[in-house]
Amino acid sequence: MRTRAFRQLCRARDLLADVRSAHVSISDAAREASLSSFHFIRRFEAVFGETPHQFRTRERLTTAQRLLARGHSVTDVCLDVGFNSLGSFSALFTRKLGLSPAAYQRGLRRSIYIADWTPHPPMCLLWMGGPDAIAIFEKTLRRP
Amino acid sequence: MRIKLNSIFVNDQEKALRFYTDVLGFRKKQDFPVGGARWISVVSPEGPDDLELVLEPNGHPAASAYQSALMQDGIPCTALESADIRSEVQRLKEKGVVFTIEPTHAGAVILAIFADTCGNLIQVYQQKT
Repeated sequence: MRTRAFRQLCRARDLLADVRSAHVSISDAAREASLSSFHFIRRFEAVFGETPHQFRTRERLTTAQRLLARGHSVTDVCLDVGFNSLGSFSALFTRKLGLSPAAYQRGLRRSIYIADWTPHPPMCLLWMGGPDAIAIFEKTLRRP
Repeated sequence: MRIKLNSIFVNDQEKALRFYTDVLGFRKKQDFPVGGARWISVVSPEGPDDLELVLEPNGHPAASAYQSALMQDGIPCTALESADIRSEVQRLKEKGVVFTIEPTHAGAVILAIFADTCGNLIQVYQQKT
């Protein structure tokens, strides 16, 4: 794969990742990569391991998690990441993450506060400690 | 003091584990839950068994920005050594891996770069004898 083609593919991916700006269609992204939609989807999956649609869905949910962690309302987050229907957003979020957006937000409030949110304990604490270190982390650092 | 662990960020730990084991051929060494993520490491069957590559989640915004910027500029985030790079590249291509740099002579090594499908470019190289 030539360098220029690879860079174009990365730019197309970045367009799709910008879920909080205007909606970018798969055709728009394919045009950025100078490929037909068919070849764009195939090439995207080969390089990034998922289809453009799967990638955008994951980006939307990741952004939603971050916004929920910062205390935004579920409705605001839903609209912010490009969903028109609260029902569709909640159903997708629940299917992918195993709990509703509201339940996810409630769970985070019980977690230790880490600036700008990380979804897991800081790895540096756990480099060499393994499961025992995690148990200590859960017991001593998380708020009840 | 010695080097024991190396880590790379991945955008999907499950997918990364499949790629690094099923496609690259590494062996899972550790896999246990850490908060909302997992601690996953793999080792090479060619050894050494205690030199682990950690597949670390990129949940923090800085991690995904770092990954994206390196990839955009074609920069690999780590390098793996092969005893026979040409057969290695052929084997990986047959499994659908995309290379951004084909095997290329570069001083004391021959190197190639591929996408790991988890947001990274990885360099593989062979020392010239």
